[in-house]
Parts: sequence; C-alpha cells; structure tokens
Amino acid sequence: MTTLLIKTHEAWLEMMMAGFMSHTHNRETLLDFSDILFRHFTWIEQEMIRTGEAYDYDRDDIPIKVERLETMLKAVTARLLEIDLQLLGLENKALAERIASDISYMTSVLHEMNDEVITAFNMSRKLPGVTMTQEATDALTLFLFEESYKEYELIMIYNYLKQHSGDAFLNRIFQILIDESFFHLKRFGDMMAKMGILAVPRTIMKEVYQVEDVVGFLKAGIDEELAAKEECRRLSEAVAKDSAQLAKFFDFINNQENYHIALMKEALDYYEKVAG
Amino acid sequence: MEMDAMVLEHMMNPKNYGSLPTANGEGMGKNPENGEKVAVYIHVKEDEEKPYIDDIRFQAIGCSTTVVAGSMLTEEAKGLTLDGAKNLVNATMKLLEKLPPEDAACSEMVALAIEAAVDTYEKRKDDPEYPSITYQIGGTCTPKEENNHDNTAD
Repeated sequence: MTTLLIKTHEAWLEMMMAGFMSHTHNRETLLDFSDILFRHFTWIEQEMIRTGEAYDYDRDDIPIKVERLETMLKAVTARLLEIDLQLLGLENKALAERIASDISYMTSVLHEMNDEVITAFNMSRKLPGVTMTQEATDALTLFLFEESYKEYELIMIYNYLKQHSGDAFLNRIFQILIDESFFHLKRFGDMMAKMGILAVPRTIMKEVYQVEDVVGFLKAGIDEELAAKEECRRLSEAVAKDSAQLAKFFDFINNQENYHIALMKEALDYYEKVAG
Repeated sequence: MEMDAMVLEHMMNPKNYGSLPTANGEGMGKNPENGEKVAVYIHVKEDEEKPYIDDIRFQAIGCSTTVVAGSMLTEEAKGLTLDGAKNLVNATMKLLEKLPPEDAACSEMVALAIEAAVDTYEKRKDDPEYPSITYQIGGTCTPKEENNHDNTAD
C-alpha cells in the first residue's frame, strides 16, 4: 500500500496545482477532484494504520511547470492510471472499488477538458488590478511561499494527529483546522498562480508531523499563529494604499487566526487535563 | 532577501530537496535559538582516485531563505571532492562573516549541515556505526558539535 499512498498523495497535489493554473470553469472541477483525492489519501492511510503497515508522508517531486493545461492533465491522468494499477493489490475490495470508480470518472472528465494557456509560472509578480510597490511585492511573494508551505504542513500534521486519535472532542478540532488550512492554501495557491510564481509545497520532514510532544507542538503552534497574524497585519498595511480589497483579504485571514488560536487552546487544555 | 529571477526559481523549484535513501553520510545544521534545522544527505562515490559527492539532498525546517540557500549550496557541492566541499563551507562562512548574524543564520545552517555530513562520512570510515553529526550555528563561525548520542539526524 506504500506506493498507493505515495501516488495518491502526489495525484492530490498535482490535481490541486492544475486547478490553480486554470483560468476557466475547469478550475472548480479540478479543485473538487483534488479534494476527492485527499479523501482517498486519508482512507488509504487509515487502512495502513488498521493493518499495521508503516508509512510516512514522503513523496517524489511533482513537476508542474507547463505551458498548456493539456500537458498537466495528461500527467495527472497517467498518475491516476498508476493508482488504478496499484489498487489491484489492495485487499480491502470495497475501498479499491470506490477509488477505481472515482478514477474512472475523473479520467473521463479530464480527457474532455478544454486546453488552456498557462501563465502561472511567468514570474510577473503582479495581481490583476493591483499596483504594488517593489517592497510590498517582495513582502507578498515571501509571505505566499512561507504560508503556502505552512498551510500544507498544518494539513498534514493535523491529519496525522487525527488519523492516530480516536477522541471525538480532539478530532472535531483537528478537522476544523484541516478545513481552515485547506481554505488558506487554496487562496494562497490561487494568488501565486495569478502572480506567476506557483509552486508545489516542499515535502515535510517526518519529525514535523510525527509529533511526540503534542502539548509542546500546540504551544509552539499558538506562537506561530500569533506571528502569522502580525505578518497579515503588516501586509495589510503595506498594500492598503494600493488595494483596499487586498488589505481587507489580509485582515480577514488575520481575524480567522483568532479562532484557530482559540481551538488550539481548547485542545491544549484538553491534553493537559488528560496528562494531568 | 533580494528577489531576482534566480532566487525566485530556487524558491519555486528548490534543487536537491528531499531525502536520499542511498546516502552514506548525513548531518544536520541547527539554530538553537528557534529550533530551525537543515538535514543534508550525501552519497560519496568511492571507486574513484579521489572520492567525490555524486549525489546530495537536503531537507529543512525553516524559512524560504533557508530553502533557497540549501538549493544553491547543494548545487555547488554536487560533484566536489570532500576537500572541495570543505573549501566550499569555509568560503561560505567567510562570506557570511560580512553579514549581520540574523541575515547569515539560514545560509550558515546549510553550510554547517554540509560540513556535518562530510564529517559523518569520514568518521564512518573508521566506525560504521558512528551517529550523524549535528552542528549548531553560533555567534562565531566555529561550529560547536552537539552530543552525538543525543542529537542525531534521522
């Protein structure tokens, strides 16, 4: 199942990147498909936990620098067909059939999609309708690279914690934080594609998500959320005179962090009570 | 960090990022102030007159500047002999002396991780079980080795 997990992880990210690249209604379909692939990933992961098979979140590089969407769609389709082959060895036939059925539908839709010219790698670093100073552009660029990785990292950490927890109270919190990070990752990925700097988040070191000290992780995480709030505040100020809309977006992200911090404090209290 | 096209390219597509299952040397550079770290994995080809690094990878828990530095320095280190890699580390550390410590920290972590990987490889020639070496960045450019048995790279 290791290969199946890795290929599904890669297909999920590859499909999401294809969604960010698209300028048309293809985008929504590709992002929906990437959500389906993430769910497949979590189901395969749970199956590996159930059967006692060791696993991690390592994966290969995912080349995405293409000039036309068609090239990307062919690459995703090839990866989905690899997954389909791997399903033959999966003992849980109900799971295999579900994934195979989804793949069959997704590949047929990808085959029919219209081609598009891709501008997600042109390094223009301009957002449509927004004029920014060089300083604001550099700050936004750095923010998007840092935070897109951070959101991916948080999805994987909270997913790992959730997969290994049977506690309904904690799993509710983990799921909210996963959903929130997905929303942020999609917004940041969308902006990166518009600015011509789209990139796949780098792989995560095992020690980051195989959390041994959850209390320490949550405490550090709250500090990181506070730092992210401050970064959003600075960015909002930096772009305010050029784009009220963009400033509002960063205020919105900043305010969302408040609830993340509240949830992390809830989880922290709960862990400390259990440990105490 | 000045963002020219080359830096952007390294941010978008970091070279040599990931683990290296065939590594015969690995080491870590660490910033004790904030917990950021860089792991470097090398494969030294030995069937040559002078062994050289024929493959190298790195992973980082750190910021984008660390990733860019890792991408650039591992590209430089690839193909170098062990002495060449040590010269690269020394030259990098000399360049970093001119920068304020907070600006130098990310590149210093990468350089020390390369040095730690080379040192681990050399130690293992005498003792194949020798643990991975970790060097911490500090106020000076003299690396401070941690207790090997408590702080080993994965």
